[in-house]
Amino acid sequence: MPSPSATRRTVGTVGRHAFLLGAVAIMILPVLWALAASFKTPGGIFDSNPLPSPATLDNYRVATRDFPVWRLLINTIVMAAGVTLLQLLIAVPAAYALVRFPPRAHRVLVALIVITLLVPPQSLIIPLFLTISHLGWRNTFPGLILPQLYGTGLAVILLRDHIRAVPSTVLGAAVLDGARPGEVLRLVLLPLLRPALGAVAILLFITAWNEYLWPSLAAPDIDHATIQPGLGAFLTQEGPEYGPLLAGSMLATLPIVAVYLLASRRVTDAFMHSGLR
Amino acid sequence: MANPSLIAGERGADHAPPVARLRDRARPWLYLAPLIIALVVWVYGPLVFTGVLSFMSWNLTAPHPSWLGTANYSRLLHEPQFPHAARNTLVYAVAMLPFATVVPMALAIALWKRPGRVSTVYRTLLFLPVVLAPVATAITWQFLLDPLSGLVNVVAGWFGVGAHNWLGDPSSALYSVLLITSVKVVALNVLLFGAALANLERGLLEAAALDGATEWEITRHIVLPHLRRTVVLLGMLSLVVVWPWIFANVAVLTQGGPSGSTDNVYYRLFTYAFTFFDAGTASAAAVVITGALALVLGLGLLVAGWRRRAIA
Repeated sequence: MPSPSATRRTVGTVGRHAFLLGAVAIMILPVLWALAASFKTPGGIFDSNPLPSPATLDNYRVATRDFPVWRLLINTIVMAAGVTLLQLLIAVPAAYALVRFPPRAHRVLVALIVITLLVPPQSLIIPLFLTISHLGWRNTFPGLILPQLYGTGLAVILLRDHIRAVPSTVLGAAVLDGARPGEVLRLVLLPLLRPALGAVAILLFITAWNEYLWPSLAAPDIDHATIQPGLGAFLTQEGPEYGPLLAGSMLATLPIVAVYLLASRRVTDAFMHSGLR
Repeated sequence: MANPSLIAGERGADHAPPVARLRDRARPWLYLAPLIIALVVWVYGPLVFTGVLSFMSWNLTAPHPSWLGTANYSRLLHEPQFPHAARNTLVYAVAMLPFATVVPMALAIALWKRPGRVSTVYRTLLFLPVVLAPVATAITWQFLLDPLSGLVNVVAGWFGVGAHNWLGDPSSALYSVLLITSVKVVALNVLLFGAALANLERGLLEAAALDGATEWEITRHIVLPHLRRTVVLLGMLSLVVVWPWIFANVAVLTQGGPSGSTDNVYYRLFTYAFTFFDAGTASAAAVVITGALALVLGLGLLVAGWRRRAIA
């Protein structure tokens, strides 16, 4: 006969699994519904039956043939990669300087960086929009990418914590061997920082990939648009095309899920060493 | 502990020749210059620009702005729409708090208590709602909440609840948008709480268990205190990060309606700017939003006694 405490533990385990299973099921239900519906016929999508019967690939054919989905995806990759790369190029030297040779005013500086994380992007869009319109940058990659550098502060804060975690004796030894700060950064720190850089890069890439508001203003032209606002095109051109829209969103979500599956540990790590401690 | 002499070596010793000392003094700024330029050009500059614009009258389709004084602000306050949107925004923010803190924390603790393959699968699945395209999320819920054939009403019917037009009824539209968005918030924050828990020493819990502490006592006295900072941080962060998600859902599903019930200050700002092309009023709205948010976050940090840590 099981002891009372063992019984209590079993009840606890069952309860925990029921709780997790229920919550996770509710949360991924919309994703599964969208996936199934992307294989439905135009009429079937209005059925209350969530499963596609009959299943068809028509939506994917329409999405890739009648709508420039590939074009949108390529635009999104270029934009997200550009934002990620530029933010890292700016953030790595800045974070390095803040940790290894902070200027006297570094507390104020860090406060000013943290504040930029808390400024709602919506309150910046009007000047940003006017600026790129004035420069003739609408529907161009500079117009899409450069204003998103407003988010560089996050990369700096995350990387700063990673650099702090590197034992200063390792870097100090390089200095004693006569390495200049630039060499310490390139030859000693960057190789040590590679996992962290990968994690932060993935985080920045996913954030840029899912960006909706700014690309919709900066590149409204369908040939220059990114996938997130571009999906809206399915809703306006001659009535809503729900099936192709969902097929297109699956194509938009897949690359990110692949990235996540390849590096899910690293994404979590990126936060582990951040201010969340 | 860092060896001071090694750090001094990198910063440059005080007895170095003047040119070298100057170079050492300038070096941090050289490394920081790209960041400072980026933040001035793309954050602080635009903020000032927004502030100036809020005192101007400028139709975005007209060539030039003209000085207006505080008329944009008084217009915001005296029109019924903006105060109404502000009240809705408060409801959104307060109702979202449990979905940013308690709910994902409970899920993350449950996942963390039994690490292993199953937890990894859960964690991977939870990433899906976070990355499902915003427009697709909104459209999917439009179908799920459809008053005639939507799955939600079908399931509600099993429990004897009559069909309801969730997004079309002013009394339920805001909470529908809120729940739709909360799925993403919960999913993301489970991952973030999980990251915070990964820093908690498991040996500590084993020791407590050996000393006869029950599961609940361990959670109550070790796990929850460990997560206190994370709760405060994610609660405040959610005040900033959920709006793009809410915005996409409102833009696709309700456009602020029915009868303004899902409107909020962010959607209002967007409407002023890009539906009415009224840059002045939109900028005034932006200033009010940023000011109010700064006040709330500042008070929050102060209350949590966090001010030093957050910027240290």
